[in-house]
Amino acid sequence: MVNLNMENKLKRYEKIEFLGEGQFATVYKARDVETENIVAVKKIKIGSRQEAQDGINRTALREIKLLQELHHKNLIGLLDVFGHMSNVSLVFDFMDTDLEVIIKDNTIILTTANIKSYMLQTLHGLEYLHLNWILHRDLKPNNLLVNSSGILKIGDFGLAKLYGSPNRINTHQVVTRWYRAPELLYGAKQYSTSIDMWAVGCILAELLLRLPLFPGESDLDQLTKIFGVFGNPTEDNWPGVKSLSDYMEFKPFTPIPLKSIFTAAGDDLLDLIESLLVLNPIKRRECSQCLQMPFFSNKPAPTLGSKLPLPQSVRKIRDIEKPSLKRKLLEAAEGGTLSKRLFF
Amino acid sequence: MDDFTCPRCRTSKFQNPSLKMMVNVCGHGLCESCVDLLFLKGSGSCPECKIPLRRNNFRVQLFEDATVEKEVDIRKRVLRDFNKKYEDFNSLREYNDYLEEVESIIYNLSNDIDVVNTNKKIEQYKKDNREQILKSKGKIGRDEYELEEVLELEKQMEEARKKEIHLEVLEAKKKKIREKEALIDELMFSNADAKNILDTFTQLAQQAKEEEVKKPPPKVTQFSTGIQFGRQPQSTFIPVPTDEGPLYSYKALDFPPDGPKPPTLRDILEKGFISHVRSETEQERAGGFKSNIACSRALQDAMMGLFYSKKSVV
Repeated sequence: MVNLNMENKLKRYEKIEFLGEGQFATVYKARDVETENIVAVKKIKIGSRQEAQDGINRTALREIKLLQELHHKNLIGLLDVFGHMSNVSLVFDFMDTDLEVIIKDNTIILTTANIKSYMLQTLHGLEYLHLNWILHRDLKPNNLLVNSSGILKIGDFGLAKLYGSPNRINTHQVVTRWYRAPELLYGAKQYSTSIDMWAVGCILAELLLRLPLFPGESDLDQLTKIFGVFGNPTEDNWPGVKSLSDYMEFKPFTPIPLKSIFTAAGDDLLDLIESLLVLNPIKRRECSQCLQMPFFSNKPAPTLGSKLPLPQSVRKIRDIEKPSLKRKLLEAAEGGTLSKRLFF
Repeated sequence: MDDFTCPRCRTSKFQNPSLKMMVNVCGHGLCESCVDLLFLKGSGSCPECKIPLRRNNFRVQLFEDATVEKEVDIRKRVLRDFNKKYEDFNSLREYNDYLEEVESIIYNLSNDIDVVNTNKKIEQYKKDNREQILKSKGKIGRDEYELEEVLELEKQMEEARKKEIHLEVLEAKKKKIREKEALIDELMFSNADAKNILDTFTQLAQQAKEEEVKKPPPKVTQFSTGIQFGRQPQSTFIPVPTDEGPLYSYKALDFPPDGPKPPTLRDILEKGFISHVRSETEQERAGGFKSNIACSRALQDAMMGLFYSKKSVV
């Protein structure tokens, strides 16, 4: 009975095209035969014999376990899971693009209203996650997925984990380096939602600058880049920093005012950046606090989803999929299959 | 004053009408051929004051007095950094003080008074106001842009006027021919005295001329300095598309606890829950972890779903 069920599921998704390949999985675009929806199928790779012996991949397990219980319009939806032989495949909402593509597409102009909309959606999703005691631990533009109607969803829960347990020790080797909070770089084993907030701050900065704010080449370089902007941490502005396991002194830096980095940003926006990018994790603001800051309630109002800019590649596809009215009319007039008459 | 002479080769405008005087930052003139000769390698020293100069800094002298040229140069350089506007000051007085200071700096530099200290002052100002300078630079750009627009407008007006004049001339010519023809017709077919006819026509012509003179000259509406009345400053901005949706207002996320309401973070701190939990170490605190987080989670875990029964699911 179970097997039959699986067989059906295998047939349910028709592969359309190959989308991409990550460290642990390959992703395909597919059509759900039952609902005619377009979905993304993530097929978990089996890296080595040893991994196969251990059973299902750990990141996949995390994604499945967490996403099956989470439902929010700004989190990627896990629609289905099925297995075949030793493979596991996850079926997700299909997302056309991600923030990284949007940031790098220089034909797109991001207005304050656009950025406000992206930030609101990110923070809403993250607020829901944090209230459910989950840390994402891998926030970066690449993992903030956007579909063609401008809805942003947080994706890739391969590193997500429950937090708030006092005895469990976490690894500090999480989050892509450029978005990694300073306490992680100093080797903190116990941390909290503040690591995600730092990443959100970096993403906001990147939306404004269209370049990564701290593109560190190594973990040490990452810290130098951070302190180059905010100055060195001291026991005054970050109590206990010297007790962190990987703490070390850096040559002294003088802080740069954020206003000179984000020359085009308004004061309310600078306030938001300043409350996200704080060295001391205790002082960093939470999602709910950020959402109540004046930047979000001030004018301009956040752009409506359908009016958010899309990268060229997506726009093109959309145009192709929607044949022009003219062509439709022509086809109707010609009767579709009738061959053209020749006039002499 | 046509008796320019090059201080080096003594060529004057009289000997060589195509003589071009060039000037560099030091304010001493040289003729073009001397510049070519002396600065063959791209750099050299001024033959009069011996300070090192670069060839591509030579410009054609616009003013008779080379010191004016020098001052213009210095002014340009100083104003590039001292680019505050009236709007940047709180009062007229402060703005005037600032302008005066700039003038004294320019004066000092162009007359070689206390150059070292003045340069120091400029450096200090640059350091202190880096941000301000960068910002104002954008503003200047906008001014220039406006000016360019005005120039373009002026050009168009000029063309329109030329066309008008051209049409007028054509019209006048036609009129003359018509009048002539009328006169000849009149002379040919009329029975009146030829002298009378001639008289009336000359009178008419004179009247027409007088009328034309009385017409007011066309109004001058524009100056090349860009001063113009009734112009909206907004017209130079590219309108940003505003797809205004509704403004955002925060609504707190709400989870039905399906059980007794767990204490809030504040309750935990104030009502003594926290004293039953191991307090965080310094290291944990530095990593952003606080024991009230753990306490809050444990309490939530304990209470959520306590009222759950299988019936409520159906």
